Amino acid sequence: MINITELILVVTLLSVLLSLGSTRLMVLVRIMALQGVMVSLTPLFLKSHASLDSGAIIFFQIMTLIKGLLIPGLLYMAVKRVKIQREIEPFIGYHASILSGLVIIIISVFITNNLRLSLPEGHSMVLITAITTMASGFFLMMARTKAITQVIGYLMLENGIYLIGTALTDHRHTIYVVEFGVLLDLLVGVMVMGIILHNINSAFSDVDTTLLGRLKD
Amino acid sequence: MIEFVFLLPLVAGGAALALPASMGRMLLCISALLHFQLTLMSWMGKLTPAFPQFFSASPEGLLILLVTSFIFVCISIYSFSYMNESEVENKPVFCCCMLLFLGTMSMVTLSEHPIVLWISIEATTLVSAPLIFIHRSKEALEATWKYVLICSVGIALALLGCFFVTLAMDLGNIDAPLSFTSLNNVATQLDPVWLKAGFIFVVIGFGTKMGLAPMHTWLPDAHSQAPSPASALLSGALLNCAFLGIYKMHVLMNVAGLGDFSGNVLIGFGLASMLVGGVFIIGQPDYKRMLAYSSIKNMGVISFGIGIGGFAMYGAFLHLIHHSLLKSSLFLSAGNILLGFGTKRVQGVGNIISRMPKTFVSFFAGFIGITGLPPFGLFISEVVIVIGAFQQHRYISVALFLFALILVAAGAGRIFMAMSFSDNNRKILVKEKTLRLAAPYILLFASVTLCIWMPDAIYIAITDAIQTIGGAIHG
Repeated sequence: MINITELILVVTLLSVLLSLGSTRLMVLVRIMALQGVMVSLTPLFLKSHASLDSGAIIFFQIMTLIKGLLIPGLLYMAVKRVKIQREIEPFIGYHASILSGLVIIIISVFITNNLRLSLPEGHSMVLITAITTMASGFFLMMARTKAITQVIGYLMLENGIYLIGTALTDHRHTIYVVEFGVLLDLLVGVMVMGIILHNINSAFSDVDTTLLGRLKD
Repeated sequence: MIEFVFLLPLVAGGAALALPASMGRMLLCISALLHFQLTLMSWMGKLTPAFPQFFSASPEGLLILLVTSFIFVCISIYSFSYMNESEVENKPVFCCCMLLFLGTMSMVTLSEHPIVLWISIEATTLVSAPLIFIHRSKEALEATWKYVLICSVGIALALLGCFFVTLAMDLGNIDAPLSFTSLNNVATQLDPVWLKAGFIFVVIGFGTKMGLAPMHTWLPDAHSQAPSPASALLSGALLNCAFLGIYKMHVLMNVAGLGDFSGNVLIGFGLASMLVGGVFIIGQPDYKRMLAYSSIKNMGVISFGIGIGGFAMYGAFLHLIHHSLLKSSLFLSAGNILLGFGTKRVQGVGNIISRMPKTFVSFFAGFIGITGLPPFGLFISEVVIVIGAFQQHRYISVALFLFALILVAAGAGRIFMAMSFSDNNRKILVKEKTLRLAAPYILLFASVTLCIWMPDAIYIAITDAIQTIGGAIHG
């Protein structure tokens, strides 16, 4: 029998690697939509979460809509609006980025094995994926120069944090803790709106954050 | 219902968006006064929380609420005049965001549930970002972008810290509601490793917001680009609110018996912030940035004092109160200078003593206060922290602490002297106005008054706040 959870996690990991290697912003946005859906579906298939009540199911539905449709939709609009196709001159090249992604996966496995947590079955895979996603998000934020790619990096970081939350906590206290991670999407939304609504674009005629270098000591 | 304390400004903020600018100014002042009254009522214990699992009046929270509310009253008086004279383009948005900012900060001070605290700190980021961007220049855009992006990463990490705390609860097999009081009751059963991990992430997350080095990079940009009333509020109130989140976690760590670990972390961050503040102040060409770096240094002092523990914690809370009063006074004076000279560069400003004599008094008195000289309160608090550190035999830390203080005093002194006494023939653009002068004077006066006569209620609140983790006056 195919284990659905593992399938989802593998897709998530692949989406992380793809996003590190993709040059075109449109592709990146699509990958993020896929990743968002996968991440928000993960808790539904974890065994310890089998006894979900109807409220939780509605919540996961909303989560999927936000992560899979709303935020990628906003990003899509932003990419259309700022009229840039690809990230030129990243700080770290694409091949090097993919290689770093692989190194991050190895490190995540190492960290997870060393934590010696008594996790429920299947959760250690989630934790590996989660740490990889989070670290790659950080990496993307640092390695890319465009404002929009940095926002995508932040989105990935946030997906990772959500996964860590679902992997580590059982649903006794945390029904109202992990779910608040969705508020971080609000911040992402605000940042993307900032790009869309004239500002970063019209002020610089480009959304390259290397141009944001006027204020320094 | 103690929730009125933050509901009032939130509702007023929404209303300000609909009103014309002249009414908005009135609303700002009236809401500030009403908020101050509600704060005093909650100090007297007249207000009880309607949702005790989410909100409660802790002594440290009330202390920060009082400081915030008092500063906001002064800032609203200042803004009343400031909004007419400076080119704030969108006045309703300015009023609205100032009030919402007050509301979310009050929510931080009253929150009892870690997640409520986290949500309110996230909300402060969202509602203060438009304040930084209000001038709509390229620099303002850059500062806002940095502020939102860096603080968002911090907020995300703080949420991770909250996850780890709940994990520590799960691993300890505790079935208690998730609130600071109940966490403190069961602290010894929590899993120590994950509690430590949670603390680290919370310190990094909220420390970003508080301006602890090396996560401080947004702070000088945001403080220099925001209009002066907003800078005063950012520096005098927001940083304290972020500190409150760290302090509550530090209390939990202490009760759980991990106080040494968390104390050392705070001392490390504190000293780093002080040194960064000191190094960057020297030769700083922009006087509002200089004030921002001074804020970083002072947040370092507070973090250091809390980390040392015992007698020094009393000093840290005194430092918090006086820093808020003096720094917001200085930012308001800096706003007057900015209006008068029309530049943020130190070199463009000079001879304030004869050009703007009344502003000079508040500006220079603020300088004396912020460098820790008597008769202002930072002198007392810094002496108390040093004595507290000596009692704990932390001689190397004290040496670094004093070195950083000297660095800051020397660096700031040069800038203040140059601005006050060097020659300058520029035309003064906007004349001094009574309302804009009254606010910094009141704040300075409050700091001096608190040195001579501290109301018993404040004294008791500080001792109550530090008692739970072994802080005492007679340490």
